[in-house]
Amino acid sequence: MHIDWFVFFSQIVNLLILMFLLKKFLFGRIVGAMDAREAKIAARFAEAERSQEEAETAAAACERKLQDLEARHEEMLNQARRDAEAYRERLLEKAREEVDFLKNRWSEALRSERENFLQELRQLAGNQIYAITRRVLKDLAGLDLEERIVDVLLTRWVALDEEERRRFLSEGAEGQQITVSCAYEIPADIQRRFQESIVPYLPEDVEVAYERSEDVLSGWELRADGHKIAWSIKDYIDSLEERFYGALQEAAQERKA
Amino acid sequence: MEVVAINQISPDQVILFAWSFVTINATLVYSWLIMALLVIGSLLVTRNLSTDRTLSRWQNLMEVIVAGIRSEIGDMVKEGVNTYFPFVGTLFLFILASNLFTFIPGYVAPTSSLTTTAALSIMVFFAVPMYGIAKQGVLEYLKEYFRPTFIFFPFHVMGEFSRTLALAVRLFGNLMSHEKVIAILLAVTPLFFPVVMQILGLLIGLIQAYIFAILTMVYIASATQSHEETEHKPK
Repeated sequence: MHIDWFVFFSQIVNLLILMFLLKKFLFGRIVGAMDAREAKIAARFAEAERSQEEAETAAAACERKLQDLEARHEEMLNQARRDAEAYRERLLEKAREEVDFLKNRWSEALRSERENFLQELRQLAGNQIYAITRRVLKDLAGLDLEERIVDVLLTRWVALDEEERRRFLSEGAEGQQITVSCAYEIPADIQRRFQESIVPYLPEDVEVAYERSEDVLSGWELRADGHKIAWSIKDYIDSLEERFYGALQEAAQERKA
Repeated sequence: MEVVAINQISPDQVILFAWSFVTINATLVYSWLIMALLVIGSLLVTRNLSTDRTLSRWQNLMEVIVAGIRSEIGDMVKEGVNTYFPFVGTLFLFILASNLFTFIPGYVAPTSSLTTTAALSIMVFFAVPMYGIAKQGVLEYLKEYFRPTFIFFPFHVMGEFSRTLALAVRLFGNLMSHEKVIAILLAVTPLFFPVVMQILGLLIGLIQAYIFAILTMVYIASATQSHEETEHKPK
Protein backbone atom coordinates (compact mmCIF):
# COMPACT_ATOMS: atom_id res chain seq x y z
CA MET A 1 0.00 0.00 0.00
CA HIS A 2 1.74 3.08 -1.24
CA ILE A 3 0.87 6.52 -2.54
CA ASP A 4 1.81 7.46 -6.08
CA TRP A 5 2.53 11.17 -5.70
CA PHE A 6 2.02 11.94 -9.39
CA VAL A 7 -1.41 10.35 -9.23
CA PHE A 8 -2.04 12.04 -5.90
CA PHE A 9 -1.48 15.56 -7.28
CA SER A 10 -3.19 14.60 -10.52
CA GLN A 11 -6.27 13.63 -8.53
CA ILE A 12 -6.21 16.96 -6.71
CA VAL A 13 -6.04 18.80 -10.02
CA ASN A 14 -8.70 16.50 -11.46
CA LEU A 15 -11.04 17.26 -8.59
CA LEU A 16 -10.43 20.99 -8.81
CA ILE A 17 -11.22 20.85 -12.55
CA LEU A 18 -14.27 18.72 -11.84
CA MET A 19 -15.41 21.17 -9.18
CA PHE A 20 -15.08 24.04 -11.64
CA LEU A 21 -16.93 22.18 -14.41
CA LEU A 22 -19.70 20.96 -12.16
CA LYS A 23 -20.15 24.40 -10.68
CA LYS A 24 -20.39 25.84 -14.16
CA PHE A 25 -22.47 23.20 -15.89
CA LEU A 26 -24.48 21.59 -13.12
CA PHE A 27 -24.77 23.36 -9.79
CA GLY A 28 -25.13 26.87 -11.14
CA ARG A 29 -27.67 25.91 -13.76
CA ILE A 30 -29.69 23.61 -11.53
CA VAL A 31 -29.74 26.12 -8.68
CA GLY A 32 -30.66 28.87 -11.14
CA ALA A 33 -33.52 26.79 -12.50
CA MET A 34 -34.71 25.97 -8.98
CA ASP A 35 -34.51 29.61 -7.93
CA ALA A 36 -36.37 30.66 -11.07
CA ARG A 37 -39.04 28.07 -10.38
CA GLU A 38 -39.22 29.14 -6.76
CA ALA A 39 -39.60 32.76 -7.84
CA LYS A 40 -42.29 31.73 -10.30
CA ILE A 41 -44.12 29.76 -7.62
CA ALA A 42 -43.76 32.66 -5.20
CA ALA A 43 -45.10 35.00 -7.87
CA ARG A 44 -47.97 32.63 -8.52
CA PHE A 45 -48.67 32.38 -4.82
CA ALA A 46 -48.60 36.14 -4.56
CA GLU A 47 -50.89 36.35 -7.56
CA ALA A 48 -53.15 33.72 -6.04
CA GLU A 49 -53.20 35.58 -2.74
CA ARG A 50 -53.96 38.82 -4.54
CA SER A 51 -56.68 37.09 -6.53
CA GLN A 52 -58.04 35.60 -3.34
CA GLU A 53 -58.03 38.99 -1.68
CA GLU A 54 -59.75 40.47 -4.71
CA ALA A 55 -62.25 37.63 -4.69
CA GLU A 56 -62.86 38.13 -0.98
CA THR A 57 -63.28 41.85 -1.52
CA ALA A 58 -65.64 41.19 -4.41
CA ALA A 59 -67.51 38.63 -2.34
CA ALA A 60 -67.83 41.11 0.52
CA ALA A 61 -69.03 43.77 -1.92
CA CYS A 62 -71.52 41.32 -3.40
CA GLU A 63 -72.66 40.39 0.10
CA ARG A 64 -73.18 44.05 0.92
CA LYS A 65 -75.05 44.60 -2.34
CA LEU A 66 -77.19 41.56 -1.65
CA GLN A 67 -77.99 42.82 1.82
CA ASP A 68 -78.80 46.26 0.38
CA LEU A 69 -81.01 44.65 -2.24
CA GLU A 70 -82.76 42.55 0.37
CA ALA A 71 -83.26 45.59 2.58
CA ARG A 72 -84.54 47.58 -0.39
CA HIS A 73 -86.73 44.68 -1.43
CA GLU A 74 -88.15 44.48 2.09
CA GLU A 75 -88.66 48.23 2.15
CA MET A 76 -90.38 48.11 -1.24
CA LEU A 77 -92.56 45.25 -0.07
CA ASN A 78 -93.53 47.17 3.04
CA GLN A 79 -94.18 50.28 0.96
CA ALA A 80 -96.27 48.22 -1.45
CA ARG A 81 -98.18 46.73 1.47
CA ARG A 82 -98.79 50.20 2.90
CA ASP A 83 -99.84 51.52 -0.53
CA ALA A 84 -102.13 48.54 -1.06
CA GLU A 85 -103.63 49.03 2.40
CA ALA A 86 -104.16 52.71 1.73
CA TYR A 87 -105.60 51.95 -1.71
CA ARG A 88 -107.90 49.36 -0.16
CA GLU A 89 -108.99 51.89 2.43
CA ARG A 90 -109.63 54.45 -0.29
CA LEU A 91 -111.59 51.92 -2.34
CA LEU A 92 -113.58 50.90 0.71
CA GLU A 93 -114.28 54.52 1.54
CA LYS A 94 -115.26 55.18 -2.06
CA ALA A 95 -117.47 52.08 -2.12
CA ARG A 96 -118.98 53.15 1.19
CA GLU A 97 -119.64 56.60 -0.19
CA GLU A 98 -121.13 55.11 -3.34
CA VAL A 99 -123.28 52.78 -1.28
CA ASP A 100 -124.36 55.70 0.89
CA PHE A 101 -125.03 57.77 -2.19
CA LEU A 102 -127.03 54.96 -3.81
CA LYS A 103 -128.80 54.29 -0.56
CA ASN A 104 -129.70 57.94 -0.19
CA ARG A 105 -130.78 58.14 -3.78
CA TRP A 106 -132.79 54.99 -3.40
CA SER A 107 -134.29 56.27 -0.16
CA GLU A 108 -135.04 59.56 -1.82
CA ALA A 109 -136.57 57.77 -4.80
CA LEU A 110 -138.53 55.52 -2.51
CA ARG A 111 -139.74 58.44 -0.44
CA SER A 112 -140.61 60.38 -3.54
CA GLU A 113 -142.38 57.40 -5.00
CA ARG A 114 -144.20 56.85 -1.76
CA GLU A 115 -145.26 60.48 -1.62
CA ASN A 116 -146.37 60.38 -5.23
CA PHE A 117 -148.25 57.22 -4.55
CA LEU A 118 -149.85 58.73 -1.46
CA GLN A 119 -150.65 61.88 -3.36
CA GLU A 120 -152.27 59.90 -6.11
CA LEU A 121 -153.99 57.77 -3.54
CA ARG A 122 -155.21 60.84 -1.76
CA GLN A 123 -156.41 62.31 -5.02
CA LEU A 124 -158.06 59.12 -6.01
CA ALA A 125 -159.52 58.48 -2.56
CA GLY A 126 -160.75 62.07 -2.37
CA ASN A 127 -162.43 61.78 -5.73
CA GLN A 128 -163.92 58.44 -4.88
CA ILE A 129 -165.10 59.55 -1.47
CA TYR A 130 -166.50 62.69 -3.00
CA ALA A 131 -168.31 60.74 -5.64
CA ILE A 132 -169.52 58.14 -3.16
CA THR A 133 -170.61 60.78 -0.71
CA ARG A 134 -172.48 62.57 -3.48
CA ARG A 135 -174.24 59.41 -4.52
CA VAL A 136 -174.99 58.36 -0.96
CA LEU A 137 -176.38 61.76 -0.16
CA LYS A 138 -178.41 61.72 -3.35
CA ASP A 139 -179.68 58.20 -2.93
CA LEU A 140 -180.44 58.29 0.75
CA ALA A 141 -181.39 61.92 1.42
CA GLY A 142 -182.02 63.36 -2.02
CA LEU A 143 -179.40 66.00 -1.27
CA ASP A 144 -176.74 67.49 -3.57
CA LEU A 145 -173.23 67.45 -2.21
CA GLU A 146 -172.14 70.69 -3.74
CA GLU A 147 -175.21 72.37 -2.38
CA ARG A 148 -174.48 70.97 1.02
CA ILE A 149 -170.95 72.22 0.87
CA VAL A 150 -172.20 75.64 -0.16
CA ASP A 151 -174.61 75.45 2.73
CA VAL A 152 -171.83 74.66 5.10
CA LEU A 153 -169.73 77.50 3.78
CA LEU A 154 -172.62 79.88 3.91
CA THR A 155 -173.49 78.73 7.41
CA ARG A 156 -169.92 79.39 8.46
CA TRP A 157 -169.96 82.72 6.64
CA VAL A 158 -173.19 83.69 8.31
CA ALA A 159 -171.89 82.48 11.66
CA LEU A 160 -169.03 84.98 11.41
CA ASP A 161 -169.64 88.15 13.36
CA GLU A 162 -169.06 91.54 11.79
CA GLU A 163 -165.58 91.91 13.16
CA GLU A 164 -164.44 88.59 11.78
CA ARG A 165 -166.04 89.25 8.44
CA ARG A 166 -164.30 92.63 8.24
CA ARG A 167 -160.99 91.09 9.10
CA PHE A 168 -161.59 88.45 6.46
CA LEU A 169 -162.18 91.10 3.88
CA SER A 170 -159.36 93.34 5.17
CA GLU A 171 -161.40 96.39 5.99
CA GLY A 172 -160.53 99.61 4.19
CA ALA A 173 -159.15 97.97 1.12
CA GLU A 174 -160.88 98.82 -2.11
CA GLY A 175 -161.48 96.71 -5.20
CA GLN A 176 -161.22 93.46 -3.29
CA GLN A 177 -162.00 90.04 -4.68
CA ILE A 178 -163.24 86.91 -3.03
CA THR A 179 -162.07 83.79 -4.81
CA VAL A 180 -164.04 80.62 -4.58
CA SER A 181 -161.92 77.62 -5.44
CA CYS A 182 -163.11 74.13 -6.11
CA ALA A 183 -161.48 70.99 -7.43
CA TYR A 184 -164.30 70.72 -9.97
CA GLU A 185 -165.92 73.07 -12.30
CA ILE A 186 -168.58 74.88 -10.25
CA PRO A 187 -171.95 74.57 -11.98
CA ALA A 188 -173.61 77.81 -12.94
CA ASP A 189 -176.67 77.31 -10.76
CA ILE A 190 -174.51 76.68 -7.76
CA GLN A 191 -172.55 79.77 -8.58
CA ARG A 192 -175.72 81.80 -8.82
CA ARG A 193 -177.07 80.48 -5.52
CA PHE A 194 -173.77 81.12 -3.78
CA GLN A 195 -173.67 84.62 -5.25
CA GLU A 196 -177.14 85.37 -4.08
CA SER A 197 -176.47 84.08 -0.60
CA ILE A 198 -173.15 85.79 0.03
CA VAL A 199 -173.50 89.13 -1.70
CA PRO A 200 -175.77 90.68 0.95
CA TYR A 201 -172.92 90.31 3.39
CA LEU A 202 -170.34 91.88 1.19
CA PRO A 203 -169.51 95.46 0.46
CA GLU A 204 -170.54 96.62 -2.98
CA ASP A 205 -167.06 96.84 -4.49
CA VAL A 206 -166.17 93.24 -3.64
CA GLU A 207 -166.26 90.85 -6.56
CA VAL A 208 -166.69 87.07 -6.39
CA ALA A 209 -164.56 84.96 -8.69
CA TYR A 210 -164.73 81.23 -9.29
CA GLU A 211 -161.80 79.07 -10.21
CA ARG A 212 -160.91 75.46 -10.45
CA SER A 213 -158.00 74.45 -8.27
CA GLU A 214 -156.43 71.01 -7.87
CA ASP A 215 -155.07 72.11 -4.54
CA VAL A 216 -158.49 72.18 -3.00
CA LEU A 217 -159.14 68.54 -2.53
CA SER A 218 -162.79 67.62 -2.97
CA GLY A 219 -164.11 70.71 -1.32
CA TRP A 220 -164.62 74.41 -1.49
CA GLU A 221 -162.50 77.28 -0.40
CA LEU A 222 -163.43 80.91 0.16
CA ARG A 223 -160.31 83.04 0.00
CA ALA A 224 -159.71 86.78 0.33
CA ASP A 225 -156.51 88.62 0.95
CA GLY A 226 -154.76 85.86 2.86
CA HIS A 227 -157.84 84.72 4.85
CA LYS A 228 -159.92 81.77 3.90
CA ILE A 229 -162.99 79.84 4.87
CA ALA A 230 -162.95 76.29 3.58
CA TRP A 231 -164.36 72.84 3.73
CA SER A 232 -162.85 69.83 2.14
CA ILE A 233 -162.51 66.17 2.73
CA LYS A 234 -158.77 66.70 3.27
CA ASP A 235 -159.03 65.95 6.97
CA TYR A 236 -160.79 62.72 6.24
CA ILE A 237 -158.26 61.87 3.59
CA ASP A 238 -155.42 62.65 6.01
CA SER A 239 -156.92 60.31 8.52
CA LEU A 240 -157.35 57.66 5.86
CA GLU A 241 -153.78 58.17 4.69
CA GLU A 242 -152.48 57.87 8.21
CA ARG A 243 -154.26 54.61 8.74
CA PHE A 244 -153.29 53.32 5.35
CA TYR A 245 -149.62 54.19 5.99
CA GLY A 246 -149.80 52.52 9.38
CA ALA A 247 -151.19 49.36 7.77
CA LEU A 248 -148.41 49.40 5.17
CA GLN A 249 -145.71 49.71 7.83
CA GLU A 250 -147.25 46.89 9.77
CA ALA A 251 -147.28 44.63 6.72
CA ALA A 252 -143.67 45.52 5.95
CA GLN A 253 -142.61 44.71 9.50
CA GLU A 254 -144.36 41.36 9.35
CA ARG A 255 -142.68 40.52 6.06
CA LYS A 256 -139.26 41.53 7.42
CA ALA A 257 -139.83 39.39 10.51
CA MET B 1 -12.80 -9.57 -16.37
CA GLU B 2 -10.30 -8.74 -13.76
CA VAL B 3 -8.42 -5.46 -13.84
CA VAL B 4 -7.01 -5.59 -10.36
CA ALA B 5 -5.63 -8.96 -9.41
CA ILE B 6 -6.72 -10.56 -6.20
CA ASN B 7 -3.30 -10.02 -4.72
CA GLN B 8 -3.25 -6.36 -5.74
CA ILE B 9 -4.68 -4.18 -3.04
CA SER B 10 -5.12 -0.96 -5.07
CA PRO B 11 -5.81 0.00 -8.69
CA ASP B 12 -2.68 2.15 -8.39
CA GLN B 13 -0.79 -1.04 -8.96
CA VAL B 14 -2.35 -1.45 -12.42
CA ILE B 15 -0.02 0.81 -14.37
CA LEU B 16 -1.06 1.48 -17.92
CA PHE B 17 1.61 3.95 -18.90
CA ALA B 18 4.83 5.10 -17.21
CA TRP B 19 7.37 7.61 -18.33
CA SER B 20 9.79 9.17 -15.90
CA PHE B 21 7.69 10.28 -12.92
CA VAL B 22 4.54 10.35 -15.03
CA THR B 23 2.45 7.31 -14.26
CA ILE B 24 -0.96 6.64 -15.78
CA ASN B 25 -2.61 3.90 -13.77
CA ALA B 26 -6.16 2.50 -13.50
CA THR B 27 -7.05 4.94 -10.72
CA LEU B 28 -6.39 7.92 -12.90
CA VAL B 29 -8.12 6.49 -15.96
CA TYR B 30 -11.26 5.57 -14.05
CA SER B 31 -11.25 8.97 -12.35
CA TRP B 32 -11.20 10.61 -15.78
CA LEU B 33 -14.03 8.35 -16.87
CA ILE B 34 -16.10 9.32 -13.87
CA MET B 35 -15.31 13.01 -14.41
CA ALA B 36 -16.23 12.76 -18.07
CA LEU B 37 -19.45 11.01 -17.18
CA LEU B 38 -20.38 13.63 -14.61
CA VAL B 39 -19.54 16.58 -16.86
CA ILE B 40 -21.22 15.14 -19.98
CA GLY B 41 -24.20 14.08 -17.92
CA SER B 42 -24.44 17.58 -16.43
CA LEU B 43 -24.27 19.14 -19.87
CA LEU B 44 -26.98 16.83 -21.17
CA VAL B 45 -29.24 17.32 -18.16
CA THR B 46 -28.84 21.09 -18.04
CA ARG B 47 -29.16 21.51 -21.81
CA ASN B 48 -32.91 22.08 -21.64
CA LEU B 49 -33.70 23.12 -18.12
CA SER B 50 -37.30 23.82 -17.35
CA THR B 51 -38.45 26.42 -14.87
CA ASP B 52 -42.09 25.40 -15.16
CA ARG B 53 -43.99 22.79 -13.25
CA THR B 54 -43.13 20.04 -15.77
CA LEU B 55 -39.50 18.94 -15.94
CA SER B 56 -37.52 15.99 -17.25
CA ARG B 57 -36.70 12.96 -15.10
CA TRP B 58 -32.97 13.67 -15.17
CA GLN B 59 -33.50 17.29 -14.20
CA ASN B 60 -35.79 16.12 -11.44
CA LEU B 61 -33.13 13.67 -10.20
CA MET B 62 -30.41 16.30 -10.27
CA GLU B 63 -32.64 18.80 -8.52
CA VAL B 64 -33.38 16.26 -5.81
CA ILE B 65 -29.66 15.60 -5.32
CA VAL B 66 -28.70 19.27 -5.41
CA ALA B 67 -31.54 20.29 -3.11
CA GLY B 68 -30.63 17.44 -0.73
CA ILE B 69 -26.97 18.49 -0.53
CA ARG B 70 -27.97 22.15 -0.03
CA SER B 71 -30.42 21.15 2.63
CA GLU B 72 -27.78 19.11 4.50
CA ILE B 73 -25.34 22.02 4.31
CA GLY B 74 -28.05 24.43 5.38
CA ASP B 75 -28.74 22.31 8.45
CA MET B 76 -25.15 22.81 9.60
CA VAL B 77 -24.37 26.38 8.69
CA LYS B 78 -26.62 29.36 9.15
CA GLU B 79 -25.34 31.17 6.08
CA GLY B 80 -23.05 30.72 3.10
CA VAL B 81 -24.64 27.56 1.74
CA ASN B 82 -23.72 28.57 -1.80
CA THR B 83 -20.06 29.09 -0.73
CA TYR B 84 -19.53 25.51 0.49
CA PHE B 85 -21.96 23.81 -1.84
CA PRO B 86 -19.70 23.41 -4.96
CA PHE B 87 -16.87 21.88 -2.94
CA VAL B 88 -18.98 19.54 -0.83
CA GLY B 89 -21.26 18.74 -3.75
CA THR B 90 -18.35 17.86 -6.01
CA LEU B 91 -16.83 15.57 -3.39
CA PHE B 92 -20.18 13.88 -2.82
CA LEU B 93 -20.99 13.39 -6.51
CA PHE B 94 -17.47 12.18 -7.39
CA ILE B 95 -17.35 9.67 -4.55
CA LEU B 96 -20.95 8.58 -5.16
CA ALA B 97 -20.41 8.05 -8.89
CA SER B 98 -17.09 6.27 -8.26
CA ASN B 99 -18.69 3.92 -5.75
CA LEU B 100 -21.96 3.19 -7.55
CA PHE B 101 -20.41 1.91 -10.79
CA THR B 102 -18.68 -0.92 -9.02
CA PHE B 103 -21.42 -3.27 -10.16
CA ILE B 104 -20.11 -2.92 -13.74
CA PRO B 105 -17.68 -5.75 -14.49
CA GLY B 106 -14.16 -4.47 -15.22
CA TYR B 107 -14.75 -1.23 -13.37
CA VAL B 108 -12.60 -0.40 -10.38
CA ALA B 109 -13.63 2.44 -8.12
CA PRO B 110 -10.94 5.15 -7.99
CA THR B 111 -11.96 5.60 -4.34
CA SER B 112 -10.62 2.12 -3.57
CA SER B 113 -7.16 3.66 -4.07
CA LEU B 114 -5.52 5.24 -1.07
CA THR B 115 -3.95 7.83 -3.40
CA THR B 116 -7.38 9.10 -4.40
CA THR B 117 -8.81 9.13 -0.89
CA ALA B 118 -5.65 10.81 0.37
CA ALA B 119 -6.00 13.44 -2.32
CA LEU B 120 -9.63 13.98 -1.31
CA SER B 121 -8.68 14.19 2.37
CA ILE B 122 -5.84 16.62 1.70
CA MET B 123 -8.27 18.82 -0.19
CA VAL B 124 -10.51 18.79 2.85
CA PHE B 125 -7.51 19.38 5.08
CA PHE B 126 -6.69 22.58 3.23
CA ALA B 127 -10.23 23.62 2.47
CA VAL B 128 -11.30 23.68 6.13
CA PRO B 129 -8.78 26.35 7.27
CA MET B 130 -9.34 28.28 4.04
CA TYR B 131 -13.05 28.54 4.69
CA GLY B 132 -12.42 29.21 8.39
CA ILE B 133 -9.98 32.05 7.68
CA ALA B 134 -12.24 33.45 4.96
CA LYS B 135 -15.09 33.53 7.42
CA GLN B 136 -13.41 34.57 10.65
CA GLY B 137 -10.02 36.01 9.69
CA VAL B 138 -6.59 34.52 10.37
CA LEU B 139 -6.33 35.52 14.03
CA GLU B 140 -9.76 34.43 15.02
CA TYR B 141 -9.28 31.15 13.21
CA LEU B 142 -5.89 30.49 14.82
CA LYS B 143 -7.30 31.38 18.22
CA GLU B 144 -9.54 28.34 17.89
CA TYR B 145 -6.47 26.15 18.25
CA PHE B 146 -5.81 27.63 21.67
CA ARG B 147 -9.26 27.23 23.10
CA PRO B 148 -10.11 26.68 25.82
CA THR B 149 -6.37 26.99 26.79
CA PHE B 150 -3.08 26.89 24.89
CA ILE B 151 -2.49 23.37 26.26
CA PHE B 152 -5.07 22.15 23.77
CA PHE B 153 -3.07 23.42 20.76
CA PRO B 154 -1.18 20.13 20.15
CA PHE B 155 -4.38 18.18 20.49
CA HIS B 156 -6.12 20.41 17.99
CA VAL B 157 -3.21 19.93 15.53
CA MET B 158 -3.21 16.20 16.07
CA GLY B 159 -6.96 16.22 15.60
CA GLU B 160 -6.58 17.94 12.25
CA PHE B 161 -4.14 15.35 11.01
CA SER B 162 -5.87 12.36 12.50
CA ARG B 163 -9.28 13.23 11.08
CA THR B 164 -7.71 13.77 7.66
CA LEU B 165 -6.08 10.40 7.92
CA ALA B 166 -9.32 8.91 9.16
CA LEU B 167 -11.22 10.36 6.19
CA ALA B 168 -8.76 8.87 3.74
CA VAL B 169 -8.42 5.48 5.36
CA ARG B 170 -12.17 5.09 6.09
CA LEU B 171 -13.17 5.56 2.48
CA PHE B 172 -10.27 3.57 1.09
CA GLY B 173 -10.72 0.75 3.61
CA ASN B 174 -14.41 0.35 2.97
CA LEU B 175 -14.16 0.34 -0.80
CA MET B 176 -11.03 -1.72 -1.03
CA SER B 177 -12.29 -4.33 1.43
CA HIS B 178 -15.59 -4.52 -0.40
CA GLU B 179 -13.85 -5.18 -3.72
CA LYS B 180 -11.62 -7.79 -2.16
CA VAL B 181 -14.64 -9.47 -0.52
CA ILE B 182 -16.40 -9.56 -3.89
CA ALA B 183 -13.32 -10.99 -5.58
CA ILE B 184 -12.90 -13.67 -2.91
CA LEU B 185 -16.60 -14.56 -2.99
CA LEU B 186 -16.50 -14.88 -6.78
CA ALA B 187 -13.68 -17.32 -6.40
CA VAL B 188 -15.39 -19.32 -3.66
CA THR B 189 -19.10 -19.14 -4.53
CA PRO B 190 -19.55 -17.61 -7.98
CA LEU B 191 -23.38 -17.68 -7.74
CA PHE B 192 -25.86 -15.73 -5.62
CA PHE B 193 -23.62 -14.43 -2.83
CA PRO B 194 -21.59 -12.04 -5.02
CA VAL B 195 -24.88 -10.50 -6.22
CA VAL B 196 -26.04 -9.88 -2.66
CA MET B 197 -22.66 -8.40 -1.83
CA GLN B 198 -22.86 -6.16 -4.93
CA ILE B 199 -26.20 -4.83 -3.70
CA LEU B 200 -24.68 -4.29 -0.30
CA GLY B 201 -21.75 -2.61 -2.03
CA LEU B 202 -24.11 -0.07 -3.60
CA LEU B 203 -25.44 0.76 -0.16
CA ILE B 204 -21.94 0.98 1.29
CA GLY B 205 -20.83 3.22 -1.56
CA LEU B 206 -23.78 5.56 -1.01
CA ILE B 207 -23.24 5.66 2.73
CA GLN B 208 -19.51 6.31 2.36
CA ALA B 209 -20.12 9.17 -0.05
CA TYR B 210 -22.63 10.63 2.36
CA ILE B 211 -20.30 10.20 5.34
CA PHE B 212 -17.37 11.80 3.54
CA ALA B 213 -19.45 14.79 2.46
CA ILE B 214 -21.13 15.19 5.84
CA LEU B 215 -17.84 14.96 7.74
CA THR B 216 -16.31 17.50 5.40
CA MET B 217 -19.22 19.81 6.08
CA VAL B 218 -18.96 19.19 9.82
CA TYR B 219 -15.28 20.16 9.74
CA ILE B 220 -16.02 23.28 7.70
CA ALA B 221 -18.89 24.20 9.99
CA SER B 222 -16.74 23.74 13.09
CA ALA B 223 -14.03 25.91 11.57
CA THR B 224 -16.40 28.69 10.55
CA GLN B 225 -18.84 28.71 13.45
CA SER B 226 -17.16 27.28 16.54
CA HIS B 227 -16.16 30.65 17.90
CA GLU B 228 -19.61 32.21 17.38
CA GLU B 229 -21.29 29.25 19.00
CA THR B 230 -18.92 29.47 21.98
CA GLU B 231 -19.75 33.12 22.44
CA HIS B 232 -23.49 32.56 22.19
CA LYS B 233 -23.58 29.47 24.32
CA PRO B 234 -25.95 30.05 27.26
CA LYS B 235 -24.19 30.20 30.64
